[in-house]
Amino acid sequence: MIRFEGVSHQYGTLEALRGVSFEVPAGALCVLLGESGSGKSTLLRTVNRLIEPTAGRVLLDGRDVAGIDPQALRRGIGYVIQSVGLFPHRSVAGNVATVPRLLGWDRARVEPRVNALLEMVGLDPGTYRDRRPATLSGGQAQRVGLARALAADPPVLLMDEPFSALDPGTRRGLQTALRRIHAETGKTILLVTHDLEEALVLADRIAVMAEGRLVAEGPPAEVLGPGAPEAVRRMVRTGALVLHRLAALPAAGAAENGPAPGSPGLPAGATLEDALLLMLAHGTDSVALEGAPPRHLTMTAILRASAP
Amino acid sequence: MRGARAARLAAEALAFLAALLAAPRAEALWHALFPEVARPTFQQDSWFLLLGWHLVLSLGAVGLAAVIGIPAGILATRPAGRRMRPLLDAIFSLAQGIPPVAAVALALPLLGFGAAPTLLALVLYAALPVLRATVSGLDSVPAGALEAARGLGFSPWQRLRDVELPLARPVLLVGMRLALTLSVATTAVGAVAGARCLGTPIVTGLANANPSYVLQGAIFTAWLALLLDRALGLLGAPSPEASSSPGSGGAQP
Ligand SMILES: Nc1ncnc2c1ncn2[C@@H]1O[C@H](COP(=O)(O)OP(=O)(O)OP(=O)(O)O)[C@@H](O)[C@H]1O
Ligand SMILES: [Mg+2]
Repeated sequence: MIRFEGVSHQYGTLEALRGVSFEVPAGALCVLLGESGSGKSTLLRTVNRLIEPTAGRVLLDGRDVAGIDPQALRRGIGYVIQSVGLFPHRSVAGNVATVPRLLGWDRARVEPRVNALLEMVGLDPGTYRDRRPATLSGGQAQRVGLARALAADPPVLLMDEPFSALDPGTRRGLQTALRRIHAETGKTILLVTHDLEEALVLADRIAVMAEGRLVAEGPPAEVLGPGAPEAVRRMVRTGALVLHRLAALPAAGAAENGPAPGSPGLPAGATLEDALLLMLAHGTDSVALEGAPPRHLTMTAILRASAP
Repeated sequence: MRGARAARLAAEALAFLAALLAAPRAEALWHALFPEVARPTFQQDSWFLLLGWHLVLSLGAVGLAAVIGIPAGILATRPAGRRMRPLLDAIFSLAQGIPPVAAVALALPLLGFGAAPTLLALVLYAALPVLRATVSGLDSVPAGALEAARGLGFSPWQRLRDVELPLARPVLLVGMRLALTLSVATTAVGAVAGARCLGTPIVTGLANANPSYVLQGAIFTAWLALLLDRALGLLGAPSPEASSSPGSGGAQP
């Protein structure tokens, strides 16, 4: 669990953070959103003490990080950055083994761990272990970056725009991998992005920053809801905000019992946005939820959910 | 490719040694070139002894230049030492700006005759390329790798040893190679201070109006510098011209 208490930071006279307070619950994937220069990276970097707050404090599981040796603290927190920063002179395996080696693990423990991690991020150990970073694609390199961050099994993962430099297809692949890893490992993750789509795909919670302040924080549907603050509205076109909100709500929540003969089928786990798009595509005003017992969803239910 | 180059270089090194062996015996050749010189072959010292001293002086000087230049370059690239960077560069530039002959002459009253003033002059001359190569090598380390190293919990010392120096190595080696080539070519001035080296025949020849000695000393000095430069190239340091990039292969996607 990460807790920010009145965290401020000044670069010279520039106030990059102005009293930010909120909590990332243990096991949550919290996405930090905000315009460029709003202080997202600065806030993220206070957690592993790459930046020291000029006021306030950051607690990790109730402990003030200011009282923890920075090197020990960082070895216990995963860190992934946009430029990846793999060590070009080390093999993929050598990169992944970085933190275990800093922690003095013996070889017999490191080797299987490296293989398991490469598999976890979707890279075949046999193929990739001995490759040099320069021979990897951007997406493969960031997969290695993620494996390196997870190597010593840290409970907390900090990610600063980890997928922003990748093309859309590659980015989706990594988002899917991260979601799966989050579900499998239950890490507490704080992830910075500019990309609202990415936030919706990944987030349990969204924290929105503007000019060094926290302007909204909570579950996605709440943060993007009708009462969304100005800073959130500015990030998305007004129309799109409704769609994004629908994308954050599961279709099952608005469904009614009973079959809907002749309606197109909607896969389980789909969102209200998926349901709406399916209706638009088929020119119908209802869709049938796949699976048993038979349930369906109407246009009216979507309208109710979009502007409660 | 590399093997063929190594074989050619070995053959040339043998030719060089054979020429050194033949030098005192090639009376006829030098007499034909310089008919007015009574004794055209240098007999006062063994050419192999001169070669040995020449190598000791120039390698020793580059070693000392590295001992001074590399730590200075590391200091100039630390956050705490960054402000000293222009000052260090100015000091080392000034040191190199002193012509080695002048440095030898100025050091004579302090250090006496022989190897000491020569070493001093050579170190002053060779330290700048080592410093500059260290600084540009460390500057060439990708920012992402440094940020990652900090974020993953390397101590400053571990960062330097395990990330920065290995990544700076190719550029650093180019600087060392340049320093060694400069040093071998310049060691000849040590003869002015009485240090025995391949410059000894040159200085003796100048003093005794014997152009034959001068030419032989010059040929062997230049030949040695070229041989060593290429030998170092073969050992993996890229040549100074061919390596404006660090050649370390970036991790950036
Ligand atoms: N090292 C620094 N020195 C001075 N000012 C800085 C420094 N780092 C960041 N800033 C300033 O602090 C403010 C917040 O920067 P920060 O990097 O936290 O923003 P961000 O939200 O991560 O932006 P982006 O989305 O562009 O990465 C910006 O105005 C930035 O210019
Ligand atoms: Mg940022």
